[in-house]
Amino acid sequence: MTAHIGTADIGTADRSAPLLEVEAVSVRYGAVTALTAVDLAVGPGEIVAVVGPNGAGKSSLMGVIAGIVAPAAGRVRFRGEDILGQPLERTVRRGIAFVPEGRHVLSGLTVLENLVLGATVRADRAAVAADIDFFLDLFPVLRERRDQPAGRLSGGEQQMLVIARALMSRPALLILDEPSLGLAPRITDRVYETVAEVRGRGVSILVVEQNAARALKAADRTYVLNGGAVRLSGTREALAGHPRFEVAYFGLADAEHEGAGGQEGQEGK
Amino acid sequence: MTANAIQILVDALSVGGLYALTSLGIGLIFSVMRLANFAHAEFVTVPAYVMFALSGHPALMSIGAAVLTAVALALAVERIAFRPLRRVDPAAMLVASFAVSMLLQKLLVFAVGSRIVPLDPLPMLGEAIRFGGVQVSALKLVTILACVVLLAALTWFLRRTRFGLEMRAAAENFTMSRLLGVRANRVIAIAFALSGVLAAVVAVLFSAQTGFVQPRLGVQLVIVGFVATVIGGLGSLFGAAVGGLAVGAAATLLQAFLPPELRPFREAFLFAAVILVLLVRPQGLFPARGLKERV
Repeated sequence: MTAHIGTADIGTADRSAPLLEVEAVSVRYGAVTALTAVDLAVGPGEIVAVVGPNGAGKSSLMGVIAGIVAPAAGRVRFRGEDILGQPLERTVRRGIAFVPEGRHVLSGLTVLENLVLGATVRADRAAVAADIDFFLDLFPVLRERRDQPAGRLSGGEQQMLVIARALMSRPALLILDEPSLGLAPRITDRVYETVAEVRGRGVSILVVEQNAARALKAADRTYVLNGGAVRLSGTREALAGHPRFEVAYFGLADAEHEGAGGQEGQEGK
Repeated sequence: MTANAIQILVDALSVGGLYALTSLGIGLIFSVMRLANFAHAEFVTVPAYVMFALSGHPALMSIGAAVLTAVALALAVERIAFRPLRRVDPAAMLVASFAVSMLLQKLLVFAVGSRIVPLDPLPMLGEAIRFGGVQVSALKLVTILACVVLLAALTWFLRRTRFGLEMRAAAENFTMSRLLGVRANRVIAIAFALSGVLAAVVAVLFSAQTGFVQPRLGVQLVIVGFVATVIGGLGSLFGAAVGGLAVGAAATLLQAFLPPELRPFREAFLFAAVILVLLVRPQGLFPARGLKERV
């Protein structure tokens, strides 16, 4: 398998029926351009990572997919349907569960109430109760603190809660924005173990990370975002030890590196 | 306790209860929309005039009509004046709420005039009740009882029902709640309907105590209600209820215990106390969680 530089095509078998397709999405905040013609795809059952330094445009990209940020141009399709410009509460009804950066537990509500809210879009009461039980078994600390306000949980516990809460909607795609931010490495491990388990149940995952090493290890494919554009993308095997990875990630070194011999072909815009 | 003290206590609780219901109605809308809804005044005044129009009919009928009117009015104002502005600057909604308030007030003046009209929606409660040697007004006792029942019902609704849960979630973090699938339009409509019910009950009890209606009836109540909401802690429903009770009770106590020559300046003392409270606790007595928490 090969890596691709810039906005070049991904060209894997997953293109046949992608779950999520982001096409040429650009985002501007006033005069500031946050994203320029970004393409991205997530196939069924895939774990896809988006990595990049602070300010690369990662959260803007997730915001567009979740329906929080309106792009200046581009398209987002989920299961082949255009999903841009719809009310926010439609996102989860379509099967996209979004865990924003900073976790956002509803801190005054109990752990149990947070989980119940996660199933807002579901009507199958009995199955919802069974799912709550399942997650309380999966994260025993949540069972212990079931009736406590979620705001009293530690950062790691809150991360478990928001992932469980997101999965309560039984999504087809789970989006995690910076799930390891501010967490101890041991807890980050637990988060990524959970991600692997979830994928085992057929849920696709799109994860945004500043911690590139961590994301590369977990993801089937990774996009490197910098300066609002995709600089490099490819499978885990192709990107592992790729000579341009650090250049793409750190962006600023780009010009310097190119002057030294720019071996790898097309640049991203 | 002396008979006098009991009477003062009943007065304080009945006035405080009415302010608590008023500030709760304001607080419900503020907590989900971050809107200080000045039109809440007319959610009180308009149903009072509906009862005036139905004077002579059975009390239950005119009270029912008042509640229905207030709910319908609250829902209509939300739909017509606020929903289109929700995505714009929050100040736009605030200005719209002033505009709605003024419009409804002037419509009332146009339709029925600005003079005071008599209203007694609960004539059967005119008698005083005797407990041993103490005489207390039946109306005031009913007012206290109604406030307690409504507070309990609202608490049950918020704590124990699906919509209540969605409303608490929306109050804490609206965007996150929508991402979980909570329907913004529905939650806001329910909040307005509830604030309409609270306003109608205030209209019934307040006009029964004063015995008249005029177009600025609601404005006077709502100004105090806003103050109470701020004292209690903006965005906190518990704070709104306690703030309303405290302000109402303080007003009654000032009336009872200020030297007679100072009583005309009762409100100056009341608002001086309000300023003192806010100097000590600028965020209010029970500040809401997550006021700034937005995705």
